[in-house]
This record gives sequence, C-alpha cells and structure tokens, in this order.
Amino acid sequence: MATRSSTQGSPPPAVRPGPSSVSERTLAKPRRNWTPYLFIAPALIYLAIFLLVPLARGIQLSFTDTKLVNPGGGSFVGVDNYTQMLTSEQFWNSFLATVLYTVGTVVFAVLIGTALAVLINRPFRGRTVVRAILTFPYAMPTVAVALIFVWIYNQSSGALNRGIGVLGLGEVGWLTDPAYGMFSVVLATVWKVFPFVMLVVLASLQSVPEELFEATRIDGADGLSTFRAIVLPHIMPTVRIVALLMTIWSIRRFEIIYLLTGGGPVESTNTLVINIYRQAFSSQNLGLAATIGVLGLILSLSVTVFFLLVERRENKREASA
Amino acid sequence: MIRKIRKLPGRVALFLGLGLFTVFAAFPVYWMINTALSTDTELYKTGQGFWLKLSRLGDIPAKLAEVPIFSWIANSGIVAFGTTFLSLVLAVMAAYALSRFKFHGKGLAAFVLFATQMLPEALLVVPLFALFASFGLLNELHGLVLANTAFTMPVAIFILKSAIDKIPYEIEESARIDGCPRSGQLTMIILPLIVPSVAAAAVINFFDGWNEFLFANTFISDAAKWPASVGLASFVGQYATPLSSVMTAAFLFTIPAIVFFLIVQRQIVSGLTAGAVKG
Amino acid sequence: MPRIQFDKIRKSFGSNTVIREFSADIPDNEFLVLLGPSGCGKSTMLRMIAGLTDISDGELRFDGELVNDREPRDRNVAFVFQSYALYPHMTVRENIAFPLIMDRFKGWYHIPILNSIMRRVIAKRPEVRDRVTEVAEMLELGSYIDRRPKTLSGGQRQRVAVARALVRDPSIYLLDEPLSNLDAKLRTQMRAEITALYQRVNKSFVYVTHDQVEAMTMATRIIVLSDGEVRQIGTPEEIYHRPADTFVARFIGAPAMNLIPVRLRDGRAISDSGAQEIAQAPAHLSPGPAMLGVRPEKISLAEHPGSGVLGYISAVEHLGGESVIGFTLEPSDPNRLVQTGSTETVHYARVPGTAQLTVGTKQWFSIGDANLSWFDADTGLAATPDRSGQEVELRSARTEAPAP
Repeated sequence: MATRSSTQGSPPPAVRPGPSSVSERTLAKPRRNWTPYLFIAPALIYLAIFLLVPLARGIQLSFTDTKLVNPGGGSFVGVDNYTQMLTSEQFWNSFLATVLYTVGTVVFAVLIGTALAVLINRPFRGRTVVRAILTFPYAMPTVAVALIFVWIYNQSSGALNRGIGVLGLGEVGWLTDPAYGMFSVVLATVWKVFPFVMLVVLASLQSVPEELFEATRIDGADGLSTFRAIVLPHIMPTVRIVALLMTIWSIRRFEIIYLLTGGGPVESTNTLVINIYRQAFSSQNLGLAATIGVLGLILSLSVTVFFLLVERRENKREASA
Repeated sequence: MIRKIRKLPGRVALFLGLGLFTVFAAFPVYWMINTALSTDTELYKTGQGFWLKLSRLGDIPAKLAEVPIFSWIANSGIVAFGTTFLSLVLAVMAAYALSRFKFHGKGLAAFVLFATQMLPEALLVVPLFALFASFGLLNELHGLVLANTAFTMPVAIFILKSAIDKIPYEIEESARIDGCPRSGQLTMIILPLIVPSVAAAAVINFFDGWNEFLFANTFISDAAKWPASVGLASFVGQYATPLSSVMTAAFLFTIPAIVFFLIVQRQIVSGLTAGAVKG
Repeated sequence: MPRIQFDKIRKSFGSNTVIREFSADIPDNEFLVLLGPSGCGKSTMLRMIAGLTDISDGELRFDGELVNDREPRDRNVAFVFQSYALYPHMTVRENIAFPLIMDRFKGWYHIPILNSIMRRVIAKRPEVRDRVTEVAEMLELGSYIDRRPKTLSGGQRQRVAVARALVRDPSIYLLDEPLSNLDAKLRTQMRAEITALYQRVNKSFVYVTHDQVEAMTMATRIIVLSDGEVRQIGTPEEIYHRPADTFVARFIGAPAMNLIPVRLRDGRAISDSGAQEIAQAPAHLSPGPAMLGVRPEKISLAEHPGSGVLGYISAVEHLGGESVIGFTLEPSDPNRLVQTGSTETVHYARVPGTAQLTVGTKQWFSIGDANLSWFDADTGLAATPDRSGQEVELRSARTEAPAP
C-alpha cells in the first residue's frame, strides 16, 4: 500500500515551486502559540513576586547576619549561620520537636481519620448529623481553636483537669509543664485536622465498587477480612497521599502552636517554624531565622521525595502483582 | 442468626468508638458555647456547669460590646473578599491554561504550584516583611490581601482545573467555529459551566483569608486594622477582658466558617486533594 | 460553495503520522463523505478543513485561496459535532443565536462581563431574533425554543446542532458522524433530512462517517480512508462498482464484494480453491495470480446444473425478499463446526427469496462476465483501468510494484 503514496509523494515538487507559496508557508509555519502563556502568566508572575522572590531573598538572608532593625543591611557571612545552627543544641531540640510534633500529628490524625471514615461509610440512622459534627473542627478558625483549648487546658479551672479530677487525678499543667506541652499541642492539632483525613478517605471509600463487597460476602468473609482484603488496598493510595499532605502541613504549621504555647514550655514545642519566628521577631536575627527556614524547607523536600519514592515503589509492586 | 450474635459485641464496640469520637469532636465547640454563657465567677471560682444556661442568651449583645469584634470582623471580611477576588481572577486564567493547552514549561508550572504547599509562611514572612516595608504595604489590609493570595491561588487553580478538565473540548471548539475568541470561550462558555467549583474555590479562599493569622499578626500593628484572627488571639492568656465575652466573640467569628464549610464540603475535599494527586 | 483543494496535505502528531500525504480537488457544492473505519484519520481530516487542527504539511485551498492559517470563523464553515456540543447553559434559542451574535461582536465587546451583556443586547435585535425563529421553525424546534439542551431528546439535540450550523448560512457544512448517537429509526429519518437540507441550501457538505450506508445514500462524492491513507476518491457508483483496491472492495457493500483468489492462464481465471474456472481472464492482464472481485448480486443460481461454478452451501440467510447464500468452492470438512470462519474462502451470493436451498448441499452458480473487478494478488490494487479520473494513477503504482 505504501507504494502508492510514495509514488505520489516522492517526485520533488516540480509542479508547485512557486516562490510565493513557499514564502506563504514559511511565514505561517513557525508561529508559536502564545495564548496559554498569556493566560498563565499573571498567576505565575504573581507567585514569582510574592513567593519566589521572597524565597530567594530568604535563602540569601541565610548567608548574612542581617538584623530586624536594619533589614536592608547585613553583610555576607558565608555558611556561618549554618555551622552555628547545625552545631547548636537549641536547633537540634527544635528539629526534634518538629519531628515529634509531625509524627504525633500525622500518625494520630491519619489513624483516627481513616478509622472514622470506615465507620461512617456504612449507613446508619443519624449518619449525616454525626458526619457534620465530625467535620466541625476542620471548619473552625484556628484562633478559635486555640482560645477554647487554652481554656480547656487551664490548670485550675479547665475542663480537662476538672475531668481527670473526678477520676481522682491531680492537676496537670497541660501547657506549662514541659512534660505535657507537646502532648497538649498535638492533641489540639489532631482534633483540628483529623476531619480532613476522614473526608478524603471517605470520598475514596465511596468509590469502592459495590460488587467487590458482594463478592466477598458470598465467599463468607467476615467484616475484618473484607476490610483487609478489599477496603484497605483500595484506600491505601489515598491514605498515603493524605499522609504526605499532613506531613508537609505539620512541618510548616505555625498558628496553633504559636497561640497555645508560643514554643514553650521550656522550648518543648519550639518547632522549626516557631523557631524561625522567634529568631526573627524576638531575637531580631533575620539571618539565623532564614537559615532555620531553609533547613526546614530541606526537611519538607526530603519528606516529599521520600514519599514519592515509596509511592513509585508501591505503584510498581501493584503493577507487577 | 448465629453469625449475627457473634458479631454483636464487635458492632457495639464500633458504635461506642464512633460515639466517643463524636463527643471528642463536638466537646470543644460545645464548651466554647458553654463558656460564652457562663459568668467569670462561675468560670474561675464556683466552677463552670456542664449544662448550657440558655437563659443567658439575652446577655450576648452586652458581652459583644466589650470586644471590638464587629470592626475586626469587618476587617476580616475586607481581607477575605479581596483575597477571594484576586485569587479567583488569577486562578481562572491559569486553570484554563493548564487544562486546555499543551505548552513548554507546563510541567514546571504545575510543579511550582504544588511546591507552594510546602513553603512555610514563617520563612517567607521575613523577606515579605522587608518587601512590604519598602512598598508601604505594612499596616494595610490590601497588603494582607496580596500576601494571602499567593497561598490561596494555587488551591483555587487545582479546584478549577479539575472542573474545566471535565468539560468536553467540543463545546469550546463549537464556540470557536461560531467565531468566539479564547477570552470569550472562557468567560461566556466555560465559566458558566463551572459555577459550582468556582463557588467552592471562593469559599475555601474566603476562609483562608478570614482565618489567616501569621501575616496579619506580623504586618498589622495598628489595632484598629486588626482582622478578627489577630484581635481574638490578643486575648489568649490575657485576663482583662471577661473570658465569656471573648468566647462569644470567637463563636460569632466561627459561625460563618462552619456554615459555609458544610455547604461546600465535598468540593473542598476534592479540591484539596486534586493538587496532591496531580502534583 | 467553494471548491476545496487538498494539496499534499499531511498530518502528524509528533512522530505519529495520522494522515499520509494526499491531494484531491473537490468541486463546488458537492456532498463529500469521508468514509473509513474508526481511527482512519477521517475526523482529523474534517477538523483540518474546519481549522480546529493544524495542517502539518501541504496546502488547503478554498476557491484557490490558501486557508491553512485561517481561524475557523474566517473560513466561513459550520461544524456539527458527533456529541452535538450544544452549550448546556444556554436555551435552544441562545444556542442557535450564538453564531449570529458572534458575527455582530465588535472587538471591544469581548471584554469580560461586558460580553455577557452585549450577548443579550444583540440577541434582542430583530434581525437576529427573526433569523433564529426562522431557522428553528424550519427544523421544527419552535416549541422547544426556550428549553435547555439537557431536557431535549437525542434527535432534538441533533436538530439544534444543525440549526446552529445553518443559521449563519456558511459556505461549507462540516458534519462529524452526526447520526452515530441516534437509534436506527431516527438515523434513517435524519439521513433524509440532511439530504433534503443539502438540496435546499445548495452548499458544500463534508460529512464524516464509518457507515457505508450513509455514505452511499447521501454522498455525491466519497473519499475512502484507512490508516491515514486515501484509498479511493469517487462517486458512490465508482466506489461501488470499481473499487480501487481490495480494502475498498471489502469495506463497501453488505455482504462485501467476494474476493476470489485466482490464477490467470490461457485466458481463463481458475480459482485457487477447488480449481474451477470462474470467469474469462481479461485481455489486458498478464497471466499469473490475481484476485477476482464479484458483488454478491452478480452471482446467480445457474439455470442449468452442470454449467458455471459449483459451490458447496455453508450458510443460508433468508431476508424475506431475498436470501444471502454462503458457499465455498470446495467441499469443507464436515467435522468442523464453524465453517464460516474465514471470509477468504466463503463467498456470498444474493438470490431471490424464493430459492429453496439447504446447507450442506451442492449448487451451481453462474457469474456474469460483466462488472467483474480484478485486483493485483500482491498489492491488492485494482487492475481495471480507473475511469474516475480524480485520482491517483493506480496503474502506475501497480506497474512499479515489485513483480511477484
């Protein structure tokens, strides 16, 4: 078949070489479509001005000794800030606090959120109301969350101590005792964010094909093995993505920690992000603040890369299975 | 029959767990209302009762008068509206480009958008502070709008992009045949078709602006220009103002967020995950 | 209206060639059908005419004017999409009016928000209103005019799509499988309506379909495509009676043309299967293997047993007025359950419904010498002199094909 078209096409275009038509074509051909750039440029330029330039400036600051009183000044100090930070106990405490806070928040939020999603996926009376109540915390402004939790955690009159007082336990300084600070902050955070996990996993659960359930029901599987064989594999990709988002958001979360403890007691909740803020606006040391920021960003990036690698391995495994 | 009986304890345990977490989720909200309806004597001396004292609902206006919550909420509203408007205008165009065109650098653009989810505001707040200082944007509500939009716009882009993705190409091609240029296809054909998603993105952006604290706390030093988030935060650990008044104000600030969230919950979930899945 | 010229048109997406280079010249006011199996590139070709898809190479001319880089609106074409692509948020009236409104838009009307206002203002102008009403009446959409597409049936949506194409009085109508989403009965009706529309507006139509019945009944000219390659250009009669190659022969007609592998020797064509003399070999063909094409209706039951071609009946389908008989040229293995597996060996004859025939029996058939098609055994190209004149020196291609 190819013979025909090639016989048509192969003779050089002796018939139609008209220079006009050639120029027509060469003029028209390399036109580049600028339309998409026109549409996306405003957003990207905006992000460049308000995110990338500040980010670059932040990275640059991390190599200077700039102070808050004179943000334009400051001289280049090379990697001094980094050596100072990486050798300071305060930084590593802060790093540890970040890891503790992140792990605690992610593990509990993902576990609770997933479990609740599975529980409210099956129909029962009053499900809509329960689901609405379970999503309240996510909708509540963080400032309001902080206000009420500070009151609940109040040492002498707070609901928590009064509650455990009934059980015969003594008063705990939930936000003032270094032993409990991190726990209290994680608890409040988990309360605020678990509905997000629940809603996302619920959405994924609702896409489990009904026939799959029926098939295992016929096979006589009980609830738990159905869950393990069918539901869990189906929602795992979603759970992994939610865990990634939760992790990234936990590393950069500021408000709730700042409002509950401000990094205390005794720096026990002084996560990297809080540390940045305190270095910048309390110690007024912009250079060091930026350094912590860059290190925190590297942490976020490594976590993301790690998750993506896991994701790829899982995908491969599923593909080969 | 036997099977049902054997399963019963499991079921009871499941529903007990569910009930426990529902209480866990509801209690702080309940306690906020309860605190708002208590007196300071009760709160600090005699002990806060467990049951709501609904007869005190009439005291609410007097309590709100002790806190400049209405002017703060007005400031929050200005910031939230501004953020939503600016963010949606930019996002609609960008989402259209990402959904409908192939172009060089598209992957990079999508990555930059995802990467914004990773940037800690606390790192950017320092250079932004310097930037805003030199442009006279400190202590200005529109300065807050500019800063917030950088973080809310990518989320709006994800939501709108996945909405546009669902519209068949033929409808735009049809408009193109009819002589409608790109800008017209976007505003006269696509936008009317994605109104629900635009509404969802608007609500999400609105409450990001409504709740935002870090930039507002850093950039606005003039108490008259405080949005409610900063204003309310100023009461944390401070006892000059009666706690019940603070809680009443905080609850007032919370109501719109909860109501709108319940309305567009579904779109919020798909919108927030869209970014992660696509990224 | 215009004469459409394809000059060495080629389309590729990256390294993937979708349409191989081809040229054609379609006179004014033709009903041109692009026919081929799915994935053959016919829709791409239509979209290139419309200006929705860029042409990789070659020149497309309307009345001699190069239109490669013209926007669709400047080509004065209308397009009916397979999915109809109606605007879901507009009423039928607004849908039909949209092209007219766009024609009347000045540059600055396109400013967002203003454009929505101007759209409504222009829609109220008497000339727009009247034209929309006129077209809607013509397609019997009058009573649905204020409904949204969602509330209409498939056939009604189809009509709205046609109305929207019609309203601007374009010079070329482009239709992309417009009937494929309709049920069989509605399809027949809409086929007639589109033909009537063509005769009424007297403009050029280009119509894409994979349905050979649509092509045969509506077209004044057909381009048959497969795998991005133009197989034949011609009138329905030419395509039917003088297929350019075995692909076209098999694609057109139900049942398709019988292709009988034969060997030409001493002026006779002897079948490979059963070694029977099927027909006389035409003088212009050289001896050797060839493929003989016979339409099923050209095979009749022999009047005198013992003369003609002996067939072994493997299938009988009574269609009422006529019957389709499947037969092989040599007895098939009775132990095989499925004997109609290969279309190469089973041939079909279309005979009057009165004939009483049973599967498994022998039957003599006669094959007329007129209207036979001959194909090269290797290339599959027609060996009959091509008289369509439109296309393609088939014979030159044939002579250049490597000798067997």
